[in-house]
Amino acid sequence: MFRYVFTAIGSAAVACAMSMPAAAQDYPTKPVTVIVPFAPGGASDTIGRLATQIMQPTFGQPLVVENKPGANGAVGAAELSREAPDGYTIMAASIGTLGINPALQEDLPYDPREDMEILTVAVRTPNALVTRPDIEATTAEELIAALKENPDAMLFASSGTGSSDHLTAELFWQVTGTSGIHVPYKGGGPAQTDLMGGHADASFQNLGAIANFVREGKMKMLALAASERSPDFPDVPTFAELGIEGMEVYSWQAFAAPKGLNPAVKDVLVTSITEALKSPQATEQLQKMGFEVLANSPVEADAFVADEIARWTEVIKAGNISPEG
Amino acid sequence: MDLLSDLLLGAQTAFSVWNLLYCLLGVFLGTAIGVLPGLGPTATIAMLLPVTFGLAPETALIMLAGIFYGAQYGGSTTAILVNLPGESSSVVTALDGYQMARKGQAGKALATAAIGSFVAGSIATVLIAFFAPMLAEVALVFGPHEYFSLMVLGLAASVVLASGSLLHAVGMILFGLILGLIGTDVNSGEMRYTFGLWSLADGISFVIVAMGVFGLGEILSNLENETERSTVLTKVTGLMPTRNDLKRIAAPVMRGTAIGSVLGILPGGGAMLASFASYAIEKKASKRPQDFGKGAIEGVAGPESANNAGAQTSFIPMLTLGIPSNPVMALMIGALIMQGIQPGPSVIQEQPVLFWGLIVSMWVGNLMLLVLNLPLIGLWVKMISIPYGFLFPAIVAFCAIGVFSLNNATFDIWLMGLFGIAGYVLRKLDCEPAPLLLGFVLGPMLEEHLRRAMLVSRGDATTFVSRPISAVLLILALLLIASILAPQIRAKREEAFQDEE
Repeated sequence: MFRYVFTAIGSAAVACAMSMPAAAQDYPTKPVTVIVPFAPGGASDTIGRLATQIMQPTFGQPLVVENKPGANGAVGAAELSREAPDGYTIMAASIGTLGINPALQEDLPYDPREDMEILTVAVRTPNALVTRPDIEATTAEELIAALKENPDAMLFASSGTGSSDHLTAELFWQVTGTSGIHVPYKGGGPAQTDLMGGHADASFQNLGAIANFVREGKMKMLALAASERSPDFPDVPTFAELGIEGMEVYSWQAFAAPKGLNPAVKDVLVTSITEALKSPQATEQLQKMGFEVLANSPVEADAFVADEIARWTEVIKAGNISPEG
Repeated sequence: MDLLSDLLLGAQTAFSVWNLLYCLLGVFLGTAIGVLPGLGPTATIAMLLPVTFGLAPETALIMLAGIFYGAQYGGSTTAILVNLPGESSSVVTALDGYQMARKGQAGKALATAAIGSFVAGSIATVLIAFFAPMLAEVALVFGPHEYFSLMVLGLAASVVLASGSLLHAVGMILFGLILGLIGTDVNSGEMRYTFGLWSLADGISFVIVAMGVFGLGEILSNLENETERSTVLTKVTGLMPTRNDLKRIAAPVMRGTAIGSVLGILPGGGAMLASFASYAIEKKASKRPQDFGKGAIEGVAGPESANNAGAQTSFIPMLTLGIPSNPVMALMIGALIMQGIQPGPSVIQEQPVLFWGLIVSMWVGNLMLLVLNLPLIGLWVKMISIPYGFLFPAIVAFCAIGVFSLNNATFDIWLMGLFGIAGYVLRKLDCEPAPLLLGFVLGPMLEEHLRRAMLVSRGDATTFVSRPISAVLLILALLLIASILAPQIRAKREEAFQDEE
């Protein structure tokens, strides 16, 4: 009789001991959903799929990528912020979702820093100043001089209002004291096509996306919004080298989870995601697409996102860009 | 002679055992996802992309391309059998294809679509082989003005789509244009008519409207006249087109191929217009325009050929310039980059095996599709003789799955239901859904290009007529509208309309 009671108490105690921290220690015990708030095929989707594919063999549970596109990632991000912070739903999203939407949209249904924890900034790629092939200016200085001579005349193509390349153009106008006409497109592809066809004059595009067009002479690349020159284009100067400060702009992708994650769970996620990104296989494939692997720590990632939101809020305010206006 | 050796190299590549196998796998997968409404080639290719890293670049591309044009074949099957156009280009196929199916000529309609697609695909492949580098530049000549004028022409042509009242058709186009306004404004980034719903921020997906208005609307009205429908479908006549039918479709197939090949090169939505344009031309050229919308075989042959030719030539800007003409091509560019190949003008010189192998494989793939699809026709036709009580729940389920797969959102399924009811009501009011869909598709593009053209020309509207290509397109649109409004033709239309009553 006693024995049974003891056994019962004992097993109950064991069960308790196991179930309480179990969530953290045994994590993961069921499949993890990785929300990609964009359609299949975009940069966030590629990063999400590539990272999870490499994580898979050692992760112990299936990682399932789920595309929830809409409103520059706002639909999927809002969904993530409503999920339980148990580590079974995470998100791979972009600068637009985490860095620009909060600065641009007033009634955004999520706050990247209040409702989410940024696990790591996975990759980044610098924006480059490119022009149509037959433009007169051959250097960034000449272009800026031409812009000053004819204000509000040159056509700057972007992949959409409030996109990273639109805001980079705004920032460029603000720091150089110039102006131009913003011509938004639906995505980077059509904007690049019109630039090559000579229907638009200049644009800021991700280096990886336009590198080959520049090599083939279909576009001219005048300057790079990066901290240092690209090894692929050693002749193209950075803005800092030209004496233009504050023009370091990267597009980036980051992983995030709902706020309140158990530290142990967070650790498992951060470690396996960053290890996957830093693996030679991932680094090499991402490099081919023009991405530089960052895979920084959650603390660095949070500070980075905070800086980005603050920076774009300022650019948007100074440029008077508001979707409601 | 150079071309011959290039093609020989291509043939050697395409006919290797592995490449044949992956080509077959691609077209088979493509047909399967094409038949299922809503599941498109974009999502399929995105998911298969990581799998292709292990393959040789040409093998990977051959398979992915197979999925793409295989899906075009598959899409017409559902459009013809159950009136479910999964993408904009099959809307037109559904118009007459489904009417043929109702008359018991489903087999003939399917065979016509398959044969038309094969002929068009073969010709377009030859075109790519000979003229790809030259045609590529055309894609760059088209700027915002030219696209705007092209869309105006498309809109004018959409009036011809309607077989009933002209007034109703115009009304439906306007209704479609208004629906197309929902979503984020391209220029200001402001949300329009979204009622604060973030799910509507990117507008309503075409598939939702098409499946609701066409598919569900059709089901609702079928359920109303159940007895009528079952008697119609029991008398299935001739599976294959007769010699006479083949004669009838020869010219439409050729015209469709020509239109599709030209429009397919344009990255800004040209391919989508091809099937609409072909239908409009066939209806204008026909001696019996009153048959259109009632099961005219030409109305299936022309647009299907145009559609497939356009699908093939949309590879031209991708292969020769590295410009994606649609999301599928963007994914293929991604696949190439992952393989270490930078798509662009140098691909033909630096990667001859890839370029010519892909071209020859396109023809091989089209042949495979024909061989794969013709025997399947008997099976498909049997499928629609399944009692409707079993068939319609299955169709509804597939619609729901397809729509859900777009964004993984249940909201979209409710929206489809709403459009289903709208489709039923519109049928009751004798309003045809095809012009609505075309307005819905063209509206946002029309607006986008117009506003961009105005920005680019710094507010000068005369640029639409001072740019030659744009001017010619606008004149064509004007002539088309004039021919529709010309009193004698109008009288004919009304006469035809009364005949049908």
